[in-house]
Amino acid sequence: MMDTLSYLAPLLQFKVILVIALGTLGGLVIGALPGLTATMGVALLIPLTFGMTPVMGINMLIGIYIGGIYGGCVSAILLRTPGTPASAATVLDGYPMAQRGEAGKALGMATISSAIGGLFAAVVLATLAPQLANIALKFGASEYFALALFGLTIIATLSGNLLKGAISGLLGILIACVGADPISGVMRYTFGIQGFSSGFAFTPALIGLFALSEVFTQIERLAGNEPAIKLVKDRWPSRQDMRESRGALIRGSLIGTLIGIIPGTGSGTASWISYNEARRTSKTPEKFGTGFAPGIAATESANNAVCASALIPLLALGIPGDVVTAVLMGGLMIQGLAPGPMLFQTNPEVIVGIFGGTFMATIFMFIFGMALIPVFSKILMVPRRLLTMAIVIFCFIGAFAINLNPIDLYTMVGFGVLGWGMQKFGFSQAALCIALILGPMMEANLRRGMLQAGDDVFVFLSGPITLLFLALTILSLCWPSIARHLARKTKA
Amino acid sequence: MAEVRQSKGDFWIGCGLLAFCGFAVWRTLSIKQGFSSSIAGPSFVPWLMIGLISILSAILIFQGISAGKEGGKDSVIHFPDKQTLLTIAAFVVLLVLYAAAFFPIGYIPATLVTFVIGLWLIGERKIWLLIGFPVVMTFAVHFAFTNFLSIWLP
Repeated sequence: MMDTLSYLAPLLQFKVILVIALGTLGGLVIGALPGLTATMGVALLIPLTFGMTPVMGINMLIGIYIGGIYGGCVSAILLRTPGTPASAATVLDGYPMAQRGEAGKALGMATISSAIGGLFAAVVLATLAPQLANIALKFGASEYFALALFGLTIIATLSGNLLKGAISGLLGILIACVGADPISGVMRYTFGIQGFSSGFAFTPALIGLFALSEVFTQIERLAGNEPAIKLVKDRWPSRQDMRESRGALIRGSLIGTLIGIIPGTGSGTASWISYNEARRTSKTPEKFGTGFAPGIAATESANNAVCASALIPLLALGIPGDVVTAVLMGGLMIQGLAPGPMLFQTNPEVIVGIFGGTFMATIFMFIFGMALIPVFSKILMVPRRLLTMAIVIFCFIGAFAINLNPIDLYTMVGFGVLGWGMQKFGFSQAALCIALILGPMMEANLRRGMLQAGDDVFVFLSGPITLLFLALTILSLCWPSIARHLARKTKA
Repeated sequence: MAEVRQSKGDFWIGCGLLAFCGFAVWRTLSIKQGFSSSIAGPSFVPWLMIGLISILSAILIFQGISAGKEGGKDSVIHFPDKQTLLTIAAFVVLLVLYAAAFFPIGYIPATLVTFVIGLWLIGERKIWLLIGFPVVMTFAVHFAFTNFLSIWLP
């Protein structure tokens, strides 16, 4: 107990609390602007963490993440354009409420639901992550290989199109092979360029994939017309709204937390599943989609619950729970910390700081969310052209400042174009990004295991945990076909 | 807004990926094997990935052809119109030039020029915004990063 309290000391400094508050506010503004996602916000602002302590830097990024996912509901409700993919389901009931002149109430309900979902998942994070890390400490090369393989497959499966998701993941692993081989040190695909000897720098690649690619999408959107923005009055939902939303809030928080723990799923999936569950179990399902407060409660509690629970596999296993946590992983690596079970042993103050910071950021999200409801419509009026160019400058500074290496700027631009192209043709940027992280881990453990076993691949078919992960990998690959078969059977 | 049929897009992307695999094969052949006699050498994972990407690309091409033949409900990929596509291409060229100029010329002059040209490319025509905003933003960012965050900029 005393240990835990002493570990909280780095978090409870005024400067750290201020940075978390500013991060959450920044995330909220980024998430509120259509086209600017929480992923982009975290990737773009990683460079700001360079001069910070690990607890301060990581919690600022977590604040941006939590604020960003919540902020997506603003434009979903006021513009019928979700600020982030996580808020796509919020449009269904949020926008009709805004059309009825209840935009403030809808935003209030979204804020309260996001806070409840976020706090619930933060409790689960603080309880479950240490237990999971204890189990993961016993993992060897074959278990880690199977875990990385499972993480990659499930991301490819859940990206919508299994084939394109798998190609994206495999491409990511191949790209991760650039540079010195992790076991023998032999150079691969460097074309004699010294700057590539340690591979593509991870953070510039992330900034390109998620921030610069969005700039190109913004340029496309600049050609279109800006929609009209609704005026906002009131902010508190009525007692009846709250009473009707109780079940949706509980289910949304649970669904979001569970889905966040599964690697690769993310807030978007959680909010849709939660919305469908709320409608299915409601006594008045016909009211959903017409501006019904429980619809907002279901989606917003689920998508914000994912924020904290997606940190569980990241911290305990070193496997990112979703794309934003993959980017957060980059932030941890910049601080010289390797996410995974060992972090609980080597840097317990960082782990406790992250647990506490998640609670703090959620509370700040609630305070700023409720306070800013009347001015949200003004945030949406930021001139897009100026914002687009400002993002470009931040992308460049961010990519350069990590290693002060001009090669990283080309890496960022290259990945930006690649990310935009992948988005256009339906390939998964998330699968590519997570493969960039898990690829080296998978390769090192696969080859180490084979070298130790004298090239015997059957070494990966031994041990209950390895077999469990391999079975889950096969199940996740077959799941789309099983689901189709089940749907056909139900229809028949 | 131009539209391309998904099946057609898949076919060409599959072909592009196969061509990329051909290039990767050529480069992988030049990877040295190191000192170990194990099959799990430095080129083991690259060969595995190239093989799998080739197989999946072939499936993508096959899917594209069969979906094209079936016709019916084929989804479409939305592309920007020719002018927007040209703007994006010009913007990418500008970014490559900015990357080339960032270190040798220095942050302030390179950013000022890129900012003004970039704003003009994406359609900003108000002179006071075209000049004023880049100047304020460039110097403000420089001041904040070098003074508050101790990040060196060239």
